[in-house]
Amino acid sequence: MILATREATPGSESYSLFRERLLLDLSRGKKMLLQILRNKLSLAGVVIILFFVCMALFATLLVGPYQSALNLASDNEPPSAQHLLGTDGTGHDILNLLVYGTQVDLIVGFAASLAAMILGTTVGLVAGYYGRVTDQVLSRMTDFFLVIPWLPFVLVLVSILEPSLATIVFAIALVSWPTTARVIRSQVLSLKERQFIERAKAVGAGRGYIIARHILPNVMPLVWAEAVLTVSGAIFTEAFLSFFGLGPPGVQTWGQMVNLAYNGGAMLSGQWWYFLPPGVCITTLVLGFALLGYGIEEVLNPALKRRGGAGA
Amino acid sequence: MFQVLPGDPTRVLFVRGGCAGNSTIANAQCGLRAELIVQWGLDKPVAQRYVTYMANLLQGNLGTDITTKGYIGLPVTTIIAPRLVTTLELVGIATVVTMWLGLVLGRISGWRRGSKTDVVITMSTLLGYSMPSFWVSLILVFTFAFLVPIFPLLPPRPTPDTLTNIGNTLYHWTLPIVAFIITNVAWFSLTLRNSLTDVLPEEYMVTAAAKGLNEREQLRWHALPNARLPVVTASALYFGWVVSGVIVIETVFNINGFGALTWTATLNQDYPLMQAIFLIATIGVVVANAVADVLYLYLDPRVREA
Repeated sequence: MILATREATPGSESYSLFRERLLLDLSRGKKMLLQILRNKLSLAGVVIILFFVCMALFATLLVGPYQSALNLASDNEPPSAQHLLGTDGTGHDILNLLVYGTQVDLIVGFAASLAAMILGTTVGLVAGYYGRVTDQVLSRMTDFFLVIPWLPFVLVLVSILEPSLATIVFAIALVSWPTTARVIRSQVLSLKERQFIERAKAVGAGRGYIIARHILPNVMPLVWAEAVLTVSGAIFTEAFLSFFGLGPPGVQTWGQMVNLAYNGGAMLSGQWWYFLPPGVCITTLVLGFALLGYGIEEVLNPALKRRGGAGA
Repeated sequence: MFQVLPGDPTRVLFVRGGCAGNSTIANAQCGLRAELIVQWGLDKPVAQRYVTYMANLLQGNLGTDITTKGYIGLPVTTIIAPRLVTTLELVGIATVVTMWLGLVLGRISGWRRGSKTDVVITMSTLLGYSMPSFWVSLILVFTFAFLVPIFPLLPPRPTPDTLTNIGNTLYHWTLPIVAFIITNVAWFSLTLRNSLTDVLPEEYMVTAAAKGLNEREQLRWHALPNARLPVVTASALYFGWVVSGVIVIETVFNINGFGALTWTATLNQDYPLMQAIFLIATIGVVVANAVADVLYLYLDPRVREA
């Protein structure tokens, strides 16, 4: 685990201590990374994620500029050498749309996960450390958001706020934070009974200081595991929103592609190339993040190891 | 709750900016819109609207529909009730089948963990869980209604014979239920597998084997009673997902139920309808959770035999 570090100036005694700790942290981080990569499932997750990240980064190199113009002369064409995955109802190359859809999906996934982590970690830290009434109130709130039917909630929220990248990220974050808050809270509950917290209290550290400097660094690895799992959930949720026509405007996401295929009746006219590829992309990417997330959890919690990876 | 958010349901009925021009139509629209705003109480402060809503709610009045075509002016409850029955039937059947299959699969892979069978079951249920339900539904429609047209897409026409009606409906519901199973079976199979994995190394399992019980008996009398508890806990989250799944599946398969209605209401920004739907869905989830809690107490050997 990464230990708390203190401010230090070069040359001072505390600086060498700081350096020593940093090196220790680095070697531990490296060891953890190796452990994660040694797990077959999480390695598969990493490969999948890297594949899609590269696709998003090198979109222009791979498939040229984003197509937005109508090209009705070549609509609904089956796969050919020119259009590897065929064309959609308005003549766009499906592969081109898929590659550019990756960008939006990853952005939404990472942004929503980041927002959910900030909210979830804060709630978990405060609820776990402060306890009593604060914990009661925050935990009931967490439970509420955990069990509400997420799809109607997100649909209604986005349709009222009007779909845009920001509102979609906001809505997804709002239904994604509770799991993190719960996990962090229970970890904090056990951490705060430890001796080093007692010691910090004895030297007069305030609550805020203890949370920020002693508790947070110790729950950070868990936050990372949760963050990866939340990206998976966020991409999944975004796909549902897009399928219902509430995706981010301007660019076609994978969910929107399936929506257009559905509205165009692609599955009843045999245009498999229209609705299969985007779904494959959603499933693979969601699975990739989930596998990596489970892998990290397993490294952090060796008790899970005998379950063999796929813990729900 | 959603009332607090910005957004204007009158906008759905009128063209945006329709008020801006100076023509007769624009003036008429402006007047009508202002009238509606007063009639629907949209000009009142949120707190006051909330009090009115709660007072009506306590009398069983969830409001009247305001924007959905064909329903305007009808009480929301009369729109929802028949559809809720359809959905409860669909979800009831689907959940029983999913739970049964999930528990069977979970038992197999938990008992033989690490084996080929376990890997296949775990990976395929996890894969199903990662697939968006709308996509699974489309693939099923493509395969079994287009490639091999053996299942109907449109809802069956009612006939005078009740038995035929039930048969037809079940026939129409086959694909939706299959879609439901594929996307939800992991809830039960993976949870049972993981909790079996936790239970099997326990000492009482060694004792059971030492007593000379065969594998079947060990599983039936010693492993499962303890391993099924986490499954009950996990179902708390499952119920929230059921509502989400049913919206998608009903929409794709043209089932005139609660889920499809959610979608219509959202499209029309129908506040009273949306509010009622969300309220009923949440109450449903809370009730289901309460049932699960009672079930937990009943199933927990430590509580039951105390």
